[in-house]
Formats: sequence, C-alpha cells, structure tokens
Amino acid sequence: MSKLLSKITLWRTIVAVILAAGCYGAYARFALGFHQSTNLTDGQPWGLWVGLGTLCGVGISAGGFAIAAAVYLLGFERYRPVVRVAVLLSFLGYLTVVIGMMYELGLPWRIWHPIVMWNRHSVLFEVSWCVMLYTTVLSLEFSPALVERIPWKALRETYLKWHHEILIGLVMVGAVLSSLHQSFLGGLYLLTKGKLDPLWYSQYLPTLFYLSAVPAGLSATIMVAYLCNRSMNAKIDPRILTEMSQVIAPLLYVYALFRGIDLFTHGGSAYLFLWRQESLLFWLEIGLFVIAPVILLSRESIRSNPQNLYLTCSLVVMGFMTNRLNVSVTAFERSSGFHYVPKWTEFSLTLATVTAAAVAFHYAVAYLDIIPKKQSQNWIVDSTATA
Amino acid sequence: MENTRTKAILVDITKCIGCRSCEQACKEIHGFPKETEAKLSPTALTVIEDHGDRYVRKMCMNCQDPACASACLVGALKKTELGPVTYDASKCIGCRYCIVACPFNVPRYEWSKLVPFVKKCDMCYARQVKGAQPACVEACPVQASIVGWREEILEEAQKRILLDPKYVKHIYGSEEAGGTSVFFISDVPFEKLGMATLPSQPMPMLTANALGDVPTVVLVGGSLLAGLYWITNRRKQVAWAEMQQPSENGNSSTERN
Repeated sequence: MSKLLSKITLWRTIVAVILAAGCYGAYARFALGFHQSTNLTDGQPWGLWVGLGTLCGVGISAGGFAIAAAVYLLGFERYRPVVRVAVLLSFLGYLTVVIGMMYELGLPWRIWHPIVMWNRHSVLFEVSWCVMLYTTVLSLEFSPALVERIPWKALRETYLKWHHEILIGLVMVGAVLSSLHQSFLGGLYLLTKGKLDPLWYSQYLPTLFYLSAVPAGLSATIMVAYLCNRSMNAKIDPRILTEMSQVIAPLLYVYALFRGIDLFTHGGSAYLFLWRQESLLFWLEIGLFVIAPVILLSRESIRSNPQNLYLTCSLVVMGFMTNRLNVSVTAFERSSGFHYVPKWTEFSLTLATVTAAAVAFHYAVAYLDIIPKKQSQNWIVDSTATA
Repeated sequence: MENTRTKAILVDITKCIGCRSCEQACKEIHGFPKETEAKLSPTALTVIEDHGDRYVRKMCMNCQDPACASACLVGALKKTELGPVTYDASKCIGCRYCIVACPFNVPRYEWSKLVPFVKKCDMCYARQVKGAQPACVEACPVQASIVGWREEILEEAQKRILLDPKYVKHIYGSEEAGGTSVFFISDVPFEKLGMATLPSQPMPMLTANALGDVPTVVLVGGSLLAGLYWITNRRKQVAWAEMQQPSENGNSSTERN
C-alpha cells in the first residue's frame, strides 16, 4: 500500500487531473455537441481549438524541419545531438494537431474526404495535404529511434539501411512541406479581408506566418532540450543551445522588419497607437515575441546561462502564441461584434491533448535513444548517419 | 459560365411591407419550425430585419465567385451553372472555413446538433431547376422580391433606380465581392441598413496568388536545398580527401569519389 502511495507524486496528480478534465471535455464534445462543449458561434466559428491547438501546435513544431535541414543539408554537425529531440517534438506536435482535428471538425469521421474530394482553389485543401504528408515524413524521420529497439537484427538493419538511403530526401521533402504548411496557415486568413483587424490582415500573411514559426519552433526546441537536461538526466552541451539562440535574434529582426514595412505599406500602421484592445494586444505580442527577446538575447549573460536562455525562449513562444490567438480570435471581435471566451471544456481538451503529448515525450526520452544521457558514456550520436 | 444564363433575385427594399411571408414560405419548404427568428439561423435561411422604418431581407447572396466555394476543401459548396451556390452535405467534413470566409456572414452552423451541417439559402436550386420560382419570391404578395435571368433582373433594377429619383443610385450586389445573384435597391443608403460595404474584387482572388506561388516555392525551395546539400556533401568529400592525401603520396584520385 505504501508502495502504491509513494507513486502518487505531485506531477502525476496534476497530469491525472488534466487528463480527467480532458476526458470530460471529450464526453461533452461527442455526446453533447459543440453547443454544450464550446462557446463557438457563427461569429466565431474557429476558436481556441484552431487558434491554440492547430496554429500554435504547428508553429511550435517548426523546430524539427529547421534543425534537421541544418544538420543533414547544411552540414551543421554540432547541432546533431539535438536533431532527435527536435524531430520528436515536431512529430508529437503534429500528432496533437491531428488528434485536435478529431474534436474540432464537426464530422471527424469524414476526415479522409480531402484525399478523394479535391478543391485546389482551397487553401485549407493544401493545408490538409501538408498535414497528411508532413506527419508521414515526420513519423519516418523519427522511426529509427523505435526500429533500433526491434530485437531481430536482420529486420532492424535492413530498415535502418533503407532509412539511411532515403534520409536526405526525407529531410528535403520535409523542409519544403513544413514551410508550405506554415505559410498556408497564414494563407487561410487571406479570405478574411475586411473582417480581420488591419493590424494583422496582410496579403503577406503566409510569409509572416512562416517567418514567425521558425524562431518560435527553435525556441521551443531549446526549451525542451533545457528541460531534458534539468529533469531527464540528459547531457546536451549547453553551448549548442547558446549557439542555436544566436540564430533566433536575427530571425526575429527579419520578422520585425518585414512586419513593420508591411504595416506601413498597407496602411495598418494608422492603428498602431490607437487606444483600443487590438492595439494593446498587438504591442503585447510584439513585446513578448520581438522586443524583449531581442534585448535579452543581445546579452552574453542571458545567452550563456541555460536557465536565463530558457526563460527568454519561453517569452518568444508566448509572444508567438499571442500572435496566433490574435489572428484567430481577438482580431475578429470588432467585425463580428461577438466577444468569445472559450468554455472550460475547450481549454481542458486542448490541455489534455498537449499533456498526453508531454507524457509521450517523457517516455520516449526515457526509453529510447533521443538525447545523449549522463549514464551511457559511449552514446552514438546518430546510428543512421554513421554508416 | 459566361455563355449560360444565370438566375438572380432582386429585392426592392422600398416595396417590402414586412409581412414575413418569405420567411414563412422558406421555413415551410425546408420543414423548419414556424417561429419567427430575428437573425439568420440554421432554421431561418432568410429573415426580415427592421432598420428604422425599412425592412431588409437577409439571405445568402449566392455570389458570382463565392468565397465559401473557394474555401471549401472538399468542394461541398459549388457555384452552379444556373446561378445558385449549392451545398452538398454528403461531402462536408464540418471544418467551418466557409463561415470564416463569407464576406456577408451568411452561412450558419448547427452548433446544437451532434451531426452538425452548414445551412444557407441556395435560392431553392431544386425548384429552379424544375422551372419553379424560389419559395420566398413566390410567396411575396407585393413582389418586393422578383426572380429572373440575371441580365434582365439587372436591367430592371437599373430602370427602377434611374426612373425614380428616390432610389440610391447603386444596385447592391452588382459589384460587391465581385457581384452576386441577389440584388438590393433602396431609397436609404445601404450602409444605414446594416449592409456591409465591400470591395468589388472577388474574394477568391485573395488566395489565388498564394496558391499560384506553390509550384515556384516547391521548385525554388527544393533546388535550393538540393544545391546546399550538394555543397555540404562536396565539402565533406574534399575534407575527407585532404585528410587521406598525405598518407597516399599525392594520389589525387580519391577526390573524385
């Protein structure tokens, strides 16, 4: 009995509570319907599940393609120890998005329709194909970590050899698909001209979504790597994370420059300093996503201290999430005249999905070769690439 | 589309007496509950809204180049050759992008149902194919709404606003969002009747560029990545060859591998 009790830790309790709340959310969504489980209306047909679950989930998963491309295509070998963490993060990120679709679609059992029913004028059609193809690519990119555990040597080595042969192609296809997907998510909102607030609407939304996803994805990867070092007994050289962080500031500069020029050319700049909710949220977003991180990352004491770096990266991720929620929710409120506050079941389902992914991540890192660990001295960096 | 004639509805706001016969006829033909509703809903595909002493009918505008049809990823929404924009419920997956996309905020979702679909007016497409009038038009006792071929309906609207000075000199729907199949004429400015001021550009043009860029992005991006990989790989080979060279007494053939 005492053995059982000792297994009940604080974190496990929190996870259990979140998952239970998520189960109720799922019950409400599927047994009672949208009206009982969400505060969505015809004025706000896409809410938290799309804004937080899909837009943020996909954006934060941008680290996988960026790191994989840097290592395999550009030859930045020093990032190799974090490739698998980045790919795992992206893979699980995409899984949460796919699971999220099961409850955000009205008729989820028809999720396969886009495979046979095509409308190539629809950005969402392209998005659906990017999700299908890139999730497949990610699962293939991640597969060696699982295949290595297969006890039959012949099968294992045949697969790994085959995988090694297609790896470069996979990484290239993945980079293109992921880039398209990030951009298309912004492209979805091109049709909302006149509804989306001018501080966010732009004909360059696809570019802006892409430019903001990469630094957010890299920041999320740094955060996850730091957490693995701190609590998963991992041994990733903090200098790698510092080096990665040096890429983030220039990326944020490029984003800010592009966004600024865009705002001034299409006239959105007139709304910058008006006293209204949208403008305040805009500055919250820019402050978190660009201004604070750029100032902090310019300091050596922030970059080289893992904990400070982690906190700075969390600002980037929070700023990114603010941006996506502004585009998907708050920037529509003025035109729709409807103030949307998600129902608690909307939060609980999204939170439970993300928590399930975090638990899966924990077990993957604990039982598979995802990152260099302290106990194993001669850890092979990447078994597939040494052949 | 240009060669075939399409149908259109003209609503003359100066003639509407607010009797709501159109609402009732619409509800009857769809089997919806009879209670009058203030706003468009899944069980009210057309409603009469009071704006001061004017009655303004709301319904799907059945655009010439509809945003909803371009948005729908499975092609459930379609602009038919006859003019109406129809909805094929058997294709719909419930993504609700059509509702996000519609510039007139028309489509409604059955939020309360466990198997929810999108609801919007399709100008009684099934009736019109058989040569009958839309139920709402047929029910109008004062002919505030009339139906006909689009060009003839536009001509009629033009004639009315030119001959009678009380009309605002604009046919709402002739240009909005690239033109629609439902037109309104009025003696009160349209913006005072809660009707959105919209640019004349068809909405799908907004995404056409982004989608047109895809092949370029794939081609340029793909070649760029392949090129970068080639350089990386070549560098590795050269570095490897240079490492080998001293021990192989200047045998340069290794570099070619």
